[in-house]
Amino acid sequence: MAIKKIHLHDEKDNVAVALEDLEPGDKVRVEKGGKEVEISVKERIPFGHKVALELIDAGGKVVKYGEIIGAATEKIEPGEHVHTHNVRSLKFT
Amino acid sequence: MSEVEFLGYRREDGSVGVRNHVALIAVDHAGAPVVEGVSKLIRGTTAVSHQYGRLQFGEDLELTFETLIGTGCNPNVAAAVVVGIEPNWTLKVAEEIERRSKKPVRAVHVIGKGTIDAIRDAAKHARELVSWASEIQKEPCKISDLIIGVKCGASDTTSGIASNPVIGVVGEKIIDLGGTFIFGETTELAGGEHIIAERFVDEKERKKFLEVFNRYLEFAKSKGVDIMGSQPTEENIAGGLTTIEEKALGNIQKVPKRGIKGVLKPAERPPSKGLWFMDTSSSAQEQVTLLAAAGASIHLFSTGQGNPVGHQIIPVIKITGNPVTAERMKDNIDVDVSDIIRGKMSVREGGEKVFEFMLKVASGKLTAAEIVRHDNFTINRLYPSM
Repeated sequence: MAIKKIHLHDEKDNVAVALEDLEPGDKVRVEKGGKEVEISVKERIPFGHKVALELIDAGGKVVKYGEIIGAATEKIEPGEHVHTHNVRSLKFT
Repeated sequence: MSEVEFLGYRREDGSVGVRNHVALIAVDHAGAPVVEGVSKLIRGTTAVSHQYGRLQFGEDLELTFETLIGTGCNPNVAAAVVVGIEPNWTLKVAEEIERRSKKPVRAVHVIGKGTIDAIRDAAKHARELVSWASEIQKEPCKISDLIIGVKCGASDTTSGIASNPVIGVVGEKIIDLGGTFIFGETTELAGGEHIIAERFVDEKERKKFLEVFNRYLEFAKSKGVDIMGSQPTEENIAGGLTTIEEKALGNIQKVPKRGIKGVLKPAERPPSKGLWFMDTSSSAQEQVTLLAAAGASIHLFSTGQGNPVGHQIIPVIKITGNPVTAERMKDNIDVDVSDIIRGKMSVREGGEKVFEFMLKVASGKLTAAEIVRHDNFTINRLYPSM
């Protein structure tokens, strides 16, 4: 169970970017609101892709850089891969 | 760092340069071989060469004139020799540079004497101007004296994580110290234009921004291209970008999170200090040329895959967060912030590294693009000639 590196852009974000390939069972840690949060990775997430840090309900906002980058098309659990299969654009559909 | 200073050149018009070029400016294709010839003969001269300027009309011609005049007025230029095919337009450009910037300008035309005699005449002017310019002493200057341009190019995943946020932090520091910062790339904002629009401090300017943006989308559509619909690209998606908003936000990270004062026309000099948006293309050499014509003395350029763009009049500082690019293209890279990707450097620390490098460049340190002669001055054409 390796601790892998991820990058959080903004404290408001509910996703973080993988700085290395993540495998199921890997642990990732981020500091949010002064406390450390540890999450178990649920599936394979390649470098540069996003991992959910908290539960995002279907229709819920996906936040990166402190801004809304889209809406979840299904329920996303912490540790899951956040990408085109479960997020849609709000600007263009 | 309360007294952030560098050694620069104070010009007659109040602007501050970080270089002391005697610029040889071609008005058209006839001026091109002349300025290139003189730059090889006379030490301390810099050729600004291109092949346009004939049979252009309307807005397109105006932009070419503004680009040439603005480049001559750039604070990194001490004096200029303007060379064109005939006297009218050559004098128009030369006199306007002199009127606006109060720097010494000479004009030479080619018709009636030929290329070689034009080289002789321009070289004699250049010799005198270099002798004069080389005597100008550098003086202590402040960040508030600088106009800094910004762009990203050959972007990848690392741009949004590392090099763009780093530039954003540097830009915030420049603005907070009273400096001027210009960003552009109208098309690259697509998907995030609502976020940029919110940051305009003035309602009229906000409307103007959205008009400029929508006009561009319509123009692209009239040519059969749907900018909004074609993003993110398959390559972007493979790299981890999910939506057009996310892609745009990655680009926007290099824009300081400060109020935007207004919209500048291409090549327009900002009327006051602070953060400005300029309507530009997203082509690197075109955008850098327009910002240099607006008076930017240094350009901060973020790159993932390694765009080597430069400009003969202004230093372009190349910043990468991609460890492979930092290693394989180190001849072109100035600041490596790839430790952010390794989780060993914060964005703030990366910003400090870039800021320190920028101060050295402002005091005379040459950038990679200057050393390897990436002289990419380019005329932006708006439509075909007559």
